[in-house]
Amino acid sequence: MRKLTAVVVLIFMVLSSASVALAGGGGPPKNFKKGIFLEVNRDAGTATFLPSDSEQPMILRLSEDLRADDVPLNNKVMVVIEEKEGQIYAKKAEIMFLNLTLSKFIALIVVGFIGGMLSGFIGSGGAFVLTPSMMSLGAPGAVAVASNMCHKFPKAMVGAYKRYKYGQADIKLGLVMAVSAIAGVQIGVNIQKAILKAWGNAGSNLYVSLVFVIVLVIVGIYVLYDAFRLAKRGTDESVSKLALKLQKIKIPPMMHFKTAGVTLSAWITIPVGLATGMLAATIAVGGFIGVPGMIYVVGASAIVASATELVIAFVMGFWGSLQWALSGLVDIRLTLLILSASLIGVQLGALGTTYVKDYVIKLVMAAVMLIVAVSRGAKVPVYLKELGMASISPATEDILNSVSFWALVTALGTAGIIISGAMIKGMKKARAEKAAFAEKEAPSHGKV
Amino acid sequence: MARDTSKKKRPYFLKTLFFGAISLTSYILLFIHQDWITEHYTKGGYYAAYPIITAFYFSFIHGAFGSNLLSLLGLEAKQSKKK
Repeated sequence: MRKLTAVVVLIFMVLSSASVALAGGGGPPKNFKKGIFLEVNRDAGTATFLPSDSEQPMILRLSEDLRADDVPLNNKVMVVIEEKEGQIYAKKAEIMFLNLTLSKFIALIVVGFIGGMLSGFIGSGGAFVLTPSMMSLGAPGAVAVASNMCHKFPKAMVGAYKRYKYGQADIKLGLVMAVSAIAGVQIGVNIQKAILKAWGNAGSNLYVSLVFVIVLVIVGIYVLYDAFRLAKRGTDESVSKLALKLQKIKIPPMMHFKTAGVTLSAWITIPVGLATGMLAATIAVGGFIGVPGMIYVVGASAIVASATELVIAFVMGFWGSLQWALSGLVDIRLTLLILSASLIGVQLGALGTTYVKDYVIKLVMAAVMLIVAVSRGAKVPVYLKELGMASISPATEDILNSVSFWALVTALGTAGIIISGAMIKGMKKARAEKAAFAEKEAPSHGKV
Repeated sequence: MARDTSKKKRPYFLKTLFFGAISLTSYILLFIHQDWITEHYTKGGYYAAYPIITAFYFSFIHGAFGSNLLSLLGLEAKQSKKK
């Protein structure tokens, strides 16, 4: 009966999220064309463009944002277009496939490895630094998002499989959360669209940054406080008071999550999934609310929550990849280069969780969240300036932009150091315990 | 004792070598044909199957390589733990 209820709820959620998806749209941008610029007519302010899906060249008018000198010729480009007064304007043109030099190769592999390790350990992470990294290497924003998304689901699949084998991932909780998160993404996308329409690009960026900073700082500080509290007490884990109260609410349908060891009303679980999806649509890191949500609202341990997040990341990543691949924006070379290291990193991070206590996962997650918040916070004055609400010099703007980027790198580095340190310590302790046990089993052996 | 360890690691070594060879060959092929691949993989529509299937393929092959490599290096999960 319970299983039947769960299946009915899941089907209902899939259908509702699909209908919202159809009504709301979202995902990859639509106002762009892929193709090659054949020539530029400087006097007329136009360019001849051969779209990939046609053999007929077309004339694009260059907008004020795109100078004739900046039009890349004879290279596959992604052009942002706008139709105005019956003419098609090219607003922005970026080379689609960046030239992969050795240093770019190495950069992607290193970031992929640490990002993978972080994912395997706390269930999410990597995306926040991978997308900006690819963009700083020269990939267009949409291609960077698409290529990262396409690397996310295979990585999450391998990580989820490993952690399921260790008995940590709750597949059912993951699926329920993922389906409700997909619906949440659509709500988030529509909120974003409304804000974009009302306040434009800078307003939308400001909104995203404020949500990012507020959510990450509040949740991050709480998780950090909790991690220190547990570390001080030396206890492994504890269920939050809120989760215990919510578990007493018996509004059907009730759902039992075996690995998490929780029985909870679907009316509690689904909103956590929705919030995860809404945040994922807004700030691209849903896991930063999904994992704390599963810990403090659902009542799962940090180990189970971070493992289950990988199941969610797989489902959402697959769904997202499909959207981006349908638009033809995935640069598979970038995807596979990152994957070459992250598939090893994610397994290392996953096995690392078997050597650490629950609070270490919380500690890593809090540290990453707070440093990433600094990164996004540094951008707020830049957006305020674009909105005409503040004035800062170009030099300050440059400094803030590099603070933002390097904070992300610091977040990844810090996480890498804490995880490796905790793992090495745990492995040494486990080996010492094993050796002591072996000595106890054979007391006479080796003694004179 | 040393012989025991090397005996235990032998299957990991062979598997690492096997999956590593397939994975490396696949990566070499990818970069040799990168122009054709980037062009066809970004056509959109039904061609979306290309990047998705390729990502799955690499996750199995390269994932198996990674798993065996970590075991070969002695990096394995703690045995007696968790619910």
